[in-house]
Amino acid sequence: MENMIEIKNISKSYHVVKKGEGIKGALKGLVKKEVKVIPAVSNLNFNIKKGEIVGFIGPNGAGKSTTIKMMSGILTPSSGEILIGGKNVKTHRKEVVQNIGVVFGQRSQLNWDLRLGESFELLRHIYRIDKTSFDEMIDTMDEILGIKELQDKPVRQMSLGQRVKGDLVAAMLHSPDVLFLDEPTIGLDISSKYALRKFVKEINEKRGTTIILTTHDLGDIEQLCSRLIIINNGKLVEDGNLEEIVDDIAPYKTLVVEYYDEQIPQHEKCEIISTEGNVAKYRFFKKEITAAKLIEDLGKQKAIKDVSIEEASIDDIIRIAYEGR
Amino acid sequence: MKECVKNQKNEKFNTYLQVYKMQIIRSLTYKFDVYGNIIMQSIIMLASAFFWKALYAGNDSVQGVGVSDMMVYTVVSSMISVVLTTNVERRISNSVSKGTIAIDMMRPVDIYKVFFAENLAGVTTLIFQNLLPILLIGSIFIGVPVPASKEAFLLFVLSLFMSFCINWFIAVIFGMFSFKVIEMDALIQVKKHLIRLLSGSIIPVWFFPESIKNILSFLPFVYLYQLPLDIYIGKYDSASLTKGLIMQALWVVVLYLMFRFFKKKAEDKVMIQGG
Repeated sequence: MENMIEIKNISKSYHVVKKGEGIKGALKGLVKKEVKVIPAVSNLNFNIKKGEIVGFIGPNGAGKSTTIKMMSGILTPSSGEILIGGKNVKTHRKEVVQNIGVVFGQRSQLNWDLRLGESFELLRHIYRIDKTSFDEMIDTMDEILGIKELQDKPVRQMSLGQRVKGDLVAAMLHSPDVLFLDEPTIGLDISSKYALRKFVKEINEKRGTTIILTTHDLGDIEQLCSRLIIINNGKLVEDGNLEEIVDDIAPYKTLVVEYYDEQIPQHEKCEIISTEGNVAKYRFFKKEITAAKLIEDLGKQKAIKDVSIEEASIDDIIRIAYEGR
Repeated sequence: MKECVKNQKNEKFNTYLQVYKMQIIRSLTYKFDVYGNIIMQSIIMLASAFFWKALYAGNDSVQGVGVSDMMVYTVVSSMISVVLTTNVERRISNSVSKGTIAIDMMRPVDIYKVFFAENLAGVTTLIFQNLLPILLIGSIFIGVPVPASKEAFLLFVLSLFMSFCINWFIAVIFGMFSFKVIEMDALIQVKKHLIRLLSGSIIPVWFFPESIKNILSFLPFVYLYQLPLDIYIGKYDSASLTKGLIMQALWVVVLYLMFRFFKKKAEDKVMIQGG
């Protein structure tokens, strides 16, 4: 399948004025400015195919939002280039942004003082959407999110959940091929989160929209993302589907075996990480032996009362990826 | 597919007109500011009218301007200040410091045209909410501000249009500084008072010493208030008129070029605050 987004060796650094401490430093800053260059993203490379749902994750300050903003034409990279649908974002900004939708969970593109419907009407003119496709889109969105009952409500009177729904519809009005969701579930209650996930799945399935989302919610990742890109300190750390990353970071499982007495048997293909009375924990590598075989071998040596298998949780995996191995 | 193309041809989109309309709806949301503004402007207008009357006591004319012309000057100056209301620098600096500039920039529009349309909408509502009440109050308490002649009025409209452009470009260039300097409030205040003092909006420039007057004629400020006001009250001859209008047009061009230059520079400077 063709690449929807191509990120070619992009870097972005910010110039920040360094301020001295206390009054002395502040006064010094008035006369002589020390500019510090802070790299936000460095040498990032990846491609995203049409129709993928990609979780773009990383710890706070990793450069996720900066990258999203560069992809959506808001920030320009210091070096490197970004192609969306084959077009360079920097040189063809207007054409590119006509084909993408962006939702920032932390700020709204809806107009605070206008009713939701008026905000949509303004967007209809901004993106030059003809009336029929506009109405069709509102109908489709109404089926997924139930937006019509909110049309006459001023945005300032909406709850966060309603506002995010409004923002999702606003981002989809011009039927973009690419949708960026920057922490869309932040602060949402469970049912709003559920509605958002349903929305993401449906538009991806029905319209083939490519979706890139940043999130700190592991539920979003597990339920939505076919692929994860993990960045930290502005660099790419992991790229692949969830299982691959799990296999890569935690290629082992832990087998907990309870015996009838305290004599614990051993096995050459695994190591005992702890014993407690008649319970032993064995760590084994998935590639070397299967859990069934291991249980069978151990059972031949000693009678087994109970077994359970522990896998590294996504939580742990992500944490390990963030903290670096 | 054919259907879709037909539809797009049938409907003509004017994005910025829509921005203008929506902004008018928005500015009608908050009515309280309006009354405060009318009261403040009227107080300034009435106070300066009484101040000039007191100064003129016994004199028919000062610097070739009679007391009745001075009254017209005061009222029209208040009205011009409504037309030259601009919040574009605040609009930009607020968006930058709150980070909402990201929203403005992710759309397929020229953000400066959006700012201009919003500004025009603001002025349109102010014409009804502020300019007409001020005209009414001025006419009742000070006198109806009649232009010197029909020709003077037409030239005044032309000059005022250029004043509007100069004012907007200065404001937008100031606004663009907020891409570099995040806190702009102090600078905006300095600019506001400089214009008040040097543009002739309160004290006509004729009362300044000759040397300062000369310097001011090369700066853009006098082309905001002084020139259109001079034309309105008929204080011009063909030489001063031509020179004035040419200088004013020149400033429009210079500021436009500066705007284009800074616009290019500002694009790379954008920093989004807060995540």
